[in-house]
Amino acid sequence: MPPSADLLQGTLDMLILRAIALQPEHGWAIAQRIQQVSNNVLQIGQGSLYPALHRLEYKGWIRAQWGTSENNRKARFYSLTAAGRKQLDAELANWDRLMGAVNLVLERI
Amino acid sequence: MLGEWLSRFRFFVTGKKRIDVDEELQFHLDRAIEANLAAGMSATEAQRQAGIAFGSRERAREECREELPRWLLESLLRDLRYGLRGLGRNPGFATVAVLTLALGIGANTTIFSLLDQALMRTLPVQDPGQLVVLSFAGSDPGHHHSEGGDTPGRTHEFSYLMYRDLRDKNTVFHGLIAFAPKSVGITWNNHAESVSAEMVSGNYFQTLGVRPALGRLLVAGDETAAGANPVAVLSFAYWKNHLAEAPVAGKTLLVNGTPFTIVGVAAPGFHSVVWGHTPALFVPITMQHVVEPEWSLIEDRQSYWIGLVGRVAPSVTPAQASASLNALFLSLRATEFPQLHDQSAKARKEFINDAHITLDAGAKGFSPMRENVRMPLTIVMGMVLLVAGMAIVNVASLLLVRAATRSREFSVRFALGATSGQIVRQLVAEGMLLGLAGAAIGLLLAPQALRLLIHWISGQSSGEPPYSATLDWRVLVFTLTATMVASLLFSLAPAMQFRNPHLADSLKQQSGTGAGGSLKFRRTCVALQIGCSLMLIVAAGLFVRTIQNLRHANTGYETDHLLEFSLDPQLAGYSPAQTAAIEQQALDAVSALPGVHAVGATDDPDLADDSKDGDVKVTGYTPKPDEELDIELPWISDNYLQALGVPLLAGRYFKASDTATAQKVAIVNESFARHFFANNSAALGHSVSRPNRPGTDAMIVGVVGDVKHASVREPARATDYTLFAQAERPTGLTYYVRTWQPPDAAANSIRTAIVNLDAKLIVSDLNTMKEQIDEDLNSERTIALLASAFGALATLLAGIGLYGILAYSIAQRTREIGIRMALGAKRSTVIGLIVREVMLLAGGAIGITIPLAILATQAVRTQLFGVSTADPVTYAAAIMVICLVAAFAGLIPARRAAGVDPARALRTD
Repeated sequence: MPPSADLLQGTLDMLILRAIALQPEHGWAIAQRIQQVSNNVLQIGQGSLYPALHRLEYKGWIRAQWGTSENNRKARFYSLTAAGRKQLDAELANWDRLMGAVNLVLERI
Repeated sequence: MLGEWLSRFRFFVTGKKRIDVDEELQFHLDRAIEANLAAGMSATEAQRQAGIAFGSRERAREECREELPRWLLESLLRDLRYGLRGLGRNPGFATVAVLTLALGIGANTTIFSLLDQALMRTLPVQDPGQLVVLSFAGSDPGHHHSEGGDTPGRTHEFSYLMYRDLRDKNTVFHGLIAFAPKSVGITWNNHAESVSAEMVSGNYFQTLGVRPALGRLLVAGDETAAGANPVAVLSFAYWKNHLAEAPVAGKTLLVNGTPFTIVGVAAPGFHSVVWGHTPALFVPITMQHVVEPEWSLIEDRQSYWIGLVGRVAPSVTPAQASASLNALFLSLRATEFPQLHDQSAKARKEFINDAHITLDAGAKGFSPMRENVRMPLTIVMGMVLLVAGMAIVNVASLLLVRAATRSREFSVRFALGATSGQIVRQLVAEGMLLGLAGAAIGLLLAPQALRLLIHWISGQSSGEPPYSATLDWRVLVFTLTATMVASLLFSLAPAMQFRNPHLADSLKQQSGTGAGGSLKFRRTCVALQIGCSLMLIVAAGLFVRTIQNLRHANTGYETDHLLEFSLDPQLAGYSPAQTAAIEQQALDAVSALPGVHAVGATDDPDLADDSKDGDVKVTGYTPKPDEELDIELPWISDNYLQALGVPLLAGRYFKASDTATAQKVAIVNESFARHFFANNSAALGHSVSRPNRPGTDAMIVGVVGDVKHASVREPARATDYTLFAQAERPTGLTYYVRTWQPPDAAANSIRTAIVNLDAKLIVSDLNTMKEQIDEDLNSERTIALLASAFGALATLLAGIGLYGILAYSIAQRTREIGIRMALGAKRSTVIGLIVREVMLLAGGAIGITIPLAILATQAVRTQLFGVSTADPVTYAAAIMVICLVAAFAGLIPARRAAGVDPARALRTD
């Protein structure tokens, strides 16, 4: 397995927020989604996923609710709050700006 | 942002259940296993791979926990609990550290509290920031009653008529108040006593914004005309402590024999607009003639006797206030000038052109007393800070020793995964615990120490002391801040060792000798302590020698078997005309007592920081241009000089035949004779008079030796003694009784003799001359006492610090010593080795400190007497004390080292 790329500081929060933007998800699904969509480049260690989820919950950006998983088991589902949605928009905008700037530098130099 | 904090707060309170986290993690793991199974792994393999991918479940749980908003508090509590346990394991160490800190913090709090009360606190009045103190430059021909504390070239006392003009015509003040302190005799329920009073203007309380505790306070209507307002307001402290909170409003009490109606009591906490004054009662300034019957100050423009404080209107800037007031003052001075005796151009320039009013910030009030205590308090605060510094260094070095002996504990914690940050945090937590415990004990001790100290400072002086023994919030803030800073300092000292990234490695190998870096640090600590304590011992030595010199300074007469007391018949209601007669009766009554050798009296008490001086004209002497002759002018009884034992150098003493109606006579002292005449006998027959005061012309009949007058510190000044019987006006006197009876018996018989004359007469300040000298030297004695206490404390701390560090370093060197002894070193060699090390350290510290001490003591030079700041005796003694303590602190561990059994030592570790 190729070593997973180190996530930029603070990027994990954005990825999590984005992963649950459409519908509530549980931790496992969030990790799988990010891993699959990134073609296995971004591997999120369980050890950092749950602390991050809890941190976002404490900040009030996401909400956790017990629900039933697709295989009928009790699981904790995370969904965005209004504050979380605002935060996600802000982070995405910021990310675009940053990437644009980095790309510009890479192209022109 | 607010929403985020609210959400955090919600979780801070509710937290998260551990079982929820477990379930969530378990779900994740189960899904991973399912996925692995679906990928075709065997059941065991699926479980194994999932476990590997997940990593340590315990760690994930930990990390989730650390995200909790209350994690910080939890970990802090845990550190504190851990620290408490750690300290509990080593109670001896904890006790020494906490006591050291308690002493340092308690001493600091006590002294800071005094400093705060004397120098920093504002008056307990409304908007003290608006108050200004008035003083003026320019000549002041006439009488001047001053309490001292004047800045050179500036006078704080004004005439009453000038006050009236300034008050009524100014446009910048929301009230201008006047006040003058004076002792009065009061009689309440047939009990007479002498108390301090303040004559105040009618608007005094209103302008200051002081409220009554009972009845009403004085108002503008209480200041109408001279002698027309016999009303009084009591201070809360006097009413509470002396009158037992009796319902006094509307009652009558006698002030100097005149009935006054008590209208009310001032609010608790308010003493006076002058810090250090604690008057028992306030009377309208218009009653001046009752308070001081011998003077008529109130109608006299040339009597400067009242202090002024104004409340500047909020809309007026200080510059505007000063400009407007000065214009008014100059015009008032110009209208005053024609009434003066001296109408020369020079006098005009000095009186009008040089006149200028200065407004000083008055939030703390004007106080001559404050100026007197500023320097002593600053010195003592400096010393106590040095002690606190030593306590910090001491605890730091103790902690350092402890940290070093705990290296095994720390290596275990490192091995278990603690970061150096966590260990430092724990050390700081322990330090804070020590600091807080020390502060708690210190704060408990401080009010007691404060009470003792206030008692000591106020000595025998009557009246309420201006200090209170309760700690206010300002002092508490100071103490807590100081404690926090100190705790951080001393707990970070050992923590510095753990900043080293290779520390984990070095901790694993137990070092046989003290680690290089920390050993140097420890040596520095010891050197610092020795230096600090040397400095304090030197200071103590200098002050103790000062007080010895002052005590044994030659006053010019024998101070043994000499009693003094004050008696002012006017306080008992005697009219000026009756005064001299009753004073003569008192002299006769006391001299008839058994054991009394001689009695004399003066209106200018000796060694009480009092002065009564003025200009004189001497026949046969032409003054140099602009020469100011400031001569001490006591009025004495005919037997005063003989009673004190002042030697006669030429001519004769006063005689009983020098009566009020006989030729007026004077006796001058040697300084006077030397200044005005060629020799002592040349002075005889010349006459001395006061300029512009007819009838003061007196012939010099004798010359006596110089004596110390205001204070034993000050050299004798030119003095012209005249008889109180021949004086311009009667006044209260201080009596000096030379008696062979023991002081207590003599005091009792004197009181009885005076009461037999008239029960209304109040004998006050009855004490021996030795006690009076001690009183005069109060601030010097207090500094010497505190300096000695701090010096002793510092030496003790240095001894403890030195002992702790040596004991530790010797324990570390057990193996080395064992090898030396196995190779044939003798016990004495080992002891010598250790003691030499200590002495080298002490010697180095002493060498560095001495020049610093000589520099530092320059700051206290003005407080010393008869001893140089580089006094060799003091320094030698201080060095000897330090060396003794160092040797003693070194000898105990050295003997222990010498007792090392080589065979056992080699087997350790």
